[in-house]
Amino acid sequence: MVYTMRVREGFGGNERSRCWRSANYPTVVMNSVSPTAAQYQGGGMQDEGLASLPERRRTPSWEPRGHFGHGAGSEANREAPGEPDEVDRLKAKLMSAWNNVKYGWSVKSKTSFNKTSPLTLLGHSFVLNHEDEVERFRLAFVSRLWLTYRREFPQLEGSTLTTDCGWGCMLRSGQMLLAQGLLVHLLPPGWMWLDAQQLTDVDIEVLKPRSPSRAGGVPIPSFPTVRTPNSAPRGRSNALSEGSTRVQRTRTESSRDRHTEATHRRMASWFGDQPQAPFGVHQLVELGRSSGKKAGDWYGPSVVAHILRKAVAKTSEIHNLAVYVAQDCTVYKEDVVQLCDQSLAEGSSESSPGWKSVILLVPVRLGGESLNPAYINCVKNILRLECCIGIIGGKPKHSLFFIGFQDEQLLYLDPHYCQAVVDVTQDNFPLESFHCSSPRKMNFSRMDPSCTIGFYAKSQKDFESLCSAVSAALSSSTEKYPIFTFVEGQGQNYGMEGQSGPPGNSPAHIIPPARPSRSTKRSSVDDFVFL
Amino acid sequence: MPPLEKPQHTKPFKLRKSFATRKQEVAGIRSKFPTKIPVIIERYTREKYLPPLDKTKFLVPQELSMTQFVTIIRNRMSLMPSQAFYLLINNNGLASMSLTMAQVYKDHKDDDGFLYMTYASQEMFGNSVVKTRVT
Repeated sequence: MVYTMRVREGFGGNERSRCWRSANYPTVVMNSVSPTAAQYQGGGMQDEGLASLPERRRTPSWEPRGHFGHGAGSEANREAPGEPDEVDRLKAKLMSAWNNVKYGWSVKSKTSFNKTSPLTLLGHSFVLNHEDEVERFRLAFVSRLWLTYRREFPQLEGSTLTTDCGWGCMLRSGQMLLAQGLLVHLLPPGWMWLDAQQLTDVDIEVLKPRSPSRAGGVPIPSFPTVRTPNSAPRGRSNALSEGSTRVQRTRTESSRDRHTEATHRRMASWFGDQPQAPFGVHQLVELGRSSGKKAGDWYGPSVVAHILRKAVAKTSEIHNLAVYVAQDCTVYKEDVVQLCDQSLAEGSSESSPGWKSVILLVPVRLGGESLNPAYINCVKNILRLECCIGIIGGKPKHSLFFIGFQDEQLLYLDPHYCQAVVDVTQDNFPLESFHCSSPRKMNFSRMDPSCTIGFYAKSQKDFESLCSAVSAALSSSTEKYPIFTFVEGQGQNYGMEGQSGPPGNSPAHIIPPARPSRSTKRSSVDDFVFL
Repeated sequence: MPPLEKPQHTKPFKLRKSFATRKQEVAGIRSKFPTKIPVIIERYTREKYLPPLDKTKFLVPQELSMTQFVTIIRNRMSLMPSQAFYLLINNNGLASMSLTMAQVYKDHKDDDGFLYMTYASQEMFGNSVVKTRVT
């Protein structure tokens, strides 16, 4: 609560916000509503998709946890091919509403952005005090791939589940992290989705003083809260101002444009929810089996990192890319070289000897019960790096994909939104449900300490500069030691077993538990275990 | 909540023994083994995935690196390399793997003379409502 007030003061006191707000971007000025406030708003589940169902919406008697108020789900319904009659439509909407109530966390609320402090999004900084900047941010944010819960997909092998609603959020976050890595791997630098939706999240209904948090004082500026549903006509880039000339330029380069757009679409299809998709939930669940996971289980950021590694290694869709997962908070540079340098690989003679690009995943635990505040600065510095592709983590039990921050709040993409499955095998399948138009933030203090940090390096040179840039960012922690370290050499030289073999060659042996000879011999030192 | 296995240890080491006793213990062991470092390793109270350790008190060579130390503990628990395992100093911060035990001890030893570490894996994420239904 405290932070929301502070943020609001930030822009409430500044009347100039109107200038840019009154333009086409009503949604960026949003009210942050803390989850506490969300409780009060739970009943207000207005969603454009539900407008025809005013009564049913309110029937649930459990504590409504609100929902993710994007309207994107309703769009998925709208765009779902072959929904012949109204009954089915209503049914789908009802299901969508139900799922959103059930799995959604956030409310129909607005996220407010401070327009003076910089907003960082994966290595890029925005100051939202100018239309062009807001536009730049919109394109950058909406262009990220967004993977959410899906329902009605083909049954997962070994289970009857046809949805990952309620359990697959960490897999979805992992997909988003990988998607971001693929995006920078396969698309030209600075690529933006030209059909990116307008930022949404403005709902005039909720702007009415429903929330007690608002009663306290700072008036909600009366901006024109234009509803901009995702279905609004495309090609808004026409309306872009000078600040986005780059976008316009690429617009004209139509053949290249078509090519990148095809890649973009192909990439989205890799995350489709069907067994053949290389990074779909079916494949990921399958690859999680060896880690003892099955459909319906909860996943952690480290398990997911390994699943992603296996998925990329397995697919024939992507060449020239490897995933390295750090163990024990250490990146062994020589191990990365082994993985990437194709001249070292067996039978590499016929393929072009070169360097594979690498996605570096570092699972960490930034505290015990809660995030150690000493690491916040470090996390910020990591998100400032261009080589960072995001952090999968969340708040307790609720996975999120962190892609940036502003002040003391993390910017994220939330997978907790249950959308109908999209048939990605169809040409021109709708892409809208793979992009999120509603930026959200949460306080650093609520971040779960368990997470996996992702980086990407295209070339060997990039990897070298990544190492130094990340090391510099890591040393910024006020905690005595960095979150993780880069070490020359290979893991096996440091007493790490390459495989899960017997601990035979470990440098120091510990006495097996409860060996009687020890305890008698060292009776004076009682129960110490000697290493 | 996912099903929890019952924690077998009731109280953390610090609460089981008085400060004076702990201090005395350290003094005793340090006088016998001045080059070894007394370390208390306990399972994070809410840990659900890693097994409990049979012992909590360790005497560690001071030149041992954190990597080696972690490897030993991992082996003791028969963990797979890909299984998440973190040693948190004072249940709070991660220790850098390239450090030696002596360095960590110097920076973080408790007033009683022990070095306290907690081990934990990672949390899992999911919606609790559904979880209870599935399991």
